[in-house]
Amino acid sequence: MVHFVTVMRVFAALVLSLGVAATAPRLAARQQAEPGKPAADQRLTRIAADVFAGGHGRLDADIAELKTILAENPRSAQAHALLGVAYRAKGSPDLLGEAAGELRQAIDLDPSLIPARLYLAHLYLDLGRAERAREELQAALTRMPAQSQLLALLAETERQLGKPDTALDLALQALKSDPASVEARYYQGLALYDLKRRDEAIQVFEQVLQAGGRRPEVYDSLGTAYLDAGRLDEAIATLTDGVKLDVSRPEPMIALARAYRLQGQLTRADAALAHVRTLVGATAVSQADQRVQRDLYLEDGLLRLKQARLDAAARSLRKVVDLDPNYGPGYRYLAETYIRQGLYARAGDQATRAEKLGAPLPEDLQKTLQDKLRASRPKGQE
Amino acid sequence: MIAAGRLAPICLAALTLAVDQRATATAPASARFADVTAAAGIHFVQRSGASPDKRMVETFGSGVAWIDYDNDGFPDLYFVNGAPGSSNALYHNNRDGTFTDVTAKAGVAAAAGGDRTFKTGAAVGDYDNDGYLDLFLTALGPSVLYRNNHDGTFTDVTEKAGVAGAAARWSTSAGFFDYDRDGRLDLFVASYVDYRFDSNPYCGLKKDGYRMYCDPKIFDGTADRLYHNDGGGTFTDVSQRAGIANPAGKGLGVTFCDVDRDGWTDIYVANDTVRNFLYRNKHDGTFEDVTYAAGVGFDSNGKPRAGMGVDCADLDGNGLPDLFVTNFSEELNALFMNRGDGTFDDKASMPGLRSAYPALGFGTKLFDADNDGDLDIYVTNGHVIDNVALYQPNLSYAQKDLLYENTGAGVFRDVTAQSGPALQALRVGRGLAVADFDNDGKLDVVITSVDRPAVLLRNQGGAGNNWLAIQAKGRRSNAFGLGARVTVETSEGSQVREINNVASYLSANDVRLHLGLGRAAAAKRIEIVWPGGARQVLDNVKANQMLVIEEEVR
Repeated sequence: MVHFVTVMRVFAALVLSLGVAATAPRLAARQQAEPGKPAADQRLTRIAADVFAGGHGRLDADIAELKTILAENPRSAQAHALLGVAYRAKGSPDLLGEAAGELRQAIDLDPSLIPARLYLAHLYLDLGRAERAREELQAALTRMPAQSQLLALLAETERQLGKPDTALDLALQALKSDPASVEARYYQGLALYDLKRRDEAIQVFEQVLQAGGRRPEVYDSLGTAYLDAGRLDEAIATLTDGVKLDVSRPEPMIALARAYRLQGQLTRADAALAHVRTLVGATAVSQADQRVQRDLYLEDGLLRLKQARLDAAARSLRKVVDLDPNYGPGYRYLAETYIRQGLYARAGDQATRAEKLGAPLPEDLQKTLQDKLRASRPKGQE
Repeated sequence: MIAAGRLAPICLAALTLAVDQRATATAPASARFADVTAAAGIHFVQRSGASPDKRMVETFGSGVAWIDYDNDGFPDLYFVNGAPGSSNALYHNNRDGTFTDVTAKAGVAAAAGGDRTFKTGAAVGDYDNDGYLDLFLTALGPSVLYRNNHDGTFTDVTEKAGVAGAAARWSTSAGFFDYDRDGRLDLFVASYVDYRFDSNPYCGLKKDGYRMYCDPKIFDGTADRLYHNDGGGTFTDVSQRAGIANPAGKGLGVTFCDVDRDGWTDIYVANDTVRNFLYRNKHDGTFEDVTYAAGVGFDSNGKPRAGMGVDCADLDGNGLPDLFVTNFSEELNALFMNRGDGTFDDKASMPGLRSAYPALGFGTKLFDADNDGDLDIYVTNGHVIDNVALYQPNLSYAQKDLLYENTGAGVFRDVTAQSGPALQALRVGRGLAVADFDNDGKLDVVITSVDRPAVLLRNQGGAGNNWLAIQAKGRRSNAFGLGARVTVETSEGSQVREINNVASYLSANDVRLHLGLGRAAAAKRIEIVWPGGARQVLDNVKANQMLVIEEEVR
């Protein structure tokens, strides 16, 4: 789900080379009817450059212009494709369906418009539909075998489908095709991380940043890997850089809060979580929303536990298991909280569930709990 | 409403607001509906097949159709059921306000189809021009075409006709119309999302009772279909060639009208969460998607809405058809007023229509509920998420219908509260269809509701106003004159209408054209332009009669 500016520029060039040339005569003919107005292909070229460079605040104007072009020529595959890309760049969930629709219409009008398939695959990954992303990418690869961007995104798709081995192989194929592809390298790092080859993944992420892939997602991945490796100073520095690039995403802020907590900077951890709460809605509907809320409450519970605010910790951790009844760590930390509150029977229930879900209490806490439960039983029942 | 209506367009903007506010505050509604379902002997209960798996199709309900299958002049009723194996129902109109279930005799239960066929909608038209109305049924699964045998029975001719569609296709609203003016009715079938039972995602919170039906955004759209009637009882799928096979579509509603008054019928499709489609007929068997040019795809902020039901008719008396689309809760229903230059104005935020904001609209019809000479708006509502209150306590699954009275020149006020107890009931409204079932000169409404009894609402209002009903009999044109344009001039002004039974959601309305004439005792002039292009004029026609107009062939 990373979208590098370089990728977008290449894509823009592809859109123009594959699409506009083919329709130039028709567009030129239309232009003759409206003297003084730039030809549609010129307008599309300008909009493509704009949209693929991130819009820079002109997305609404670009979308309006694309609609005007489509009013003149409803069968312009390029305009439909660019409109889909522009909608996605807006970032509004309300427009995701429309973005997919425009890209699909573009492909229907011009099946050779490979960039539209690439972007549609990105969109399917946004929507959590990796299987459909795979279908689009495989269809595109039949027309453009060994194309590095397609291979790279297919690598990421396979990783999201739980096949990190395949993902790593595809990322390496993409790099063979284009050794300078930061996108492929980033996906290689993600595959390595999923394969539990964390230190190699860290090296790859660092290379991506050095190669110019300074995207929030890369900072997030590297920061999280540092956190996992216990390299807290580097984690905080890297996650902070990522958050500065995009303050609207809750996941890296939660990771940053965790790093602060583990380093003992509880006030900063609190502030980070307070910011996350402004980003997360009250209602979690999608699975991605639920995961974010679960992680937020877990981190909040662990912070309160660290602050010895046990009632608040229990409240947050109960929300964790409420949101995701199959998430073992929620029960495990709730059990720990109850132990510290002296609520041993409740702690015992939670510990049992945690163990069933593969997240048992550490041995010392288990022993403490057993001792307390034994002591609380009436004599003769031991 | 006639008193305030028909006002000349002087200072219209100021006048519009004044009329609307005054009307809302004081004027009584003149349409009034009574629930006569039980008295009419109708016992149909829709079965959705609801399951803990929250299969999306369960919540979209099924439709209803008025079809005078025995040509006795009294519209009969056909209900589509939902769940696999459930029976549809045909009720014969006994001409005395009651109905008799004749499903078994007629052979239209459509209960077969396997455990994965969910029936959805119905369309009515005389595809073989034998003077008897036939029936087309849509489904998540193969569609069915029943040919009318003229003896109260029907024969399944789907295979011969070639209109079943793909086995896993989710077809929704459909309708017959003659897009190429060859005198034979063609068939348009709207298609919703690419939904597969074996990959039914979990949506909503992972807590007991919180699973919800999924957002259509996560599914791909599917292309609508257009079948050309080749004659001889067969059709050819011309969707691609005709230019209406946009794979982005998530069609739920469809209607037909001649939006540019060029004599050729155009198509408007209401899509869910993606832009609506307006297809302009290019007179050569193809259509052009003019949605962007016309400005009828999005809301005023450029966002697609959740289009459900749809209708097309002249609401402001300028002689041009306007477009109305029902939408999701916390969206406004769309009202696109035709400017006459190929573009439309969205008047969704008109004060009198804002009460629809919390409602989730499905079936709808623009008709003259009080016979005052202008078209009113009826909408049936019901949320798609049965447990929506768990997520948004301000919303409910079952909802009230809405009736908007046209106070003149396309300005509306909500008269639901004044229109009788039947409109205060809560339902999970889906299909809706309109006909004057008892031929008393007032249009009545039938509504289907998810997992609830259907309701027949008899119109008891409009006292003192006059009316005309027209049954067209085509000879060169299709047998019921679908697509004909009718202009009626009275002492109170003129009305331009089209004979069109395709509107609402999953449903079919009466094929007869009904016009309210207000206080006018007669129509000074009636002009009918047949789909084939021939014009016919009748002078000085008395009000309050059912007029049969046969196409003259010179």
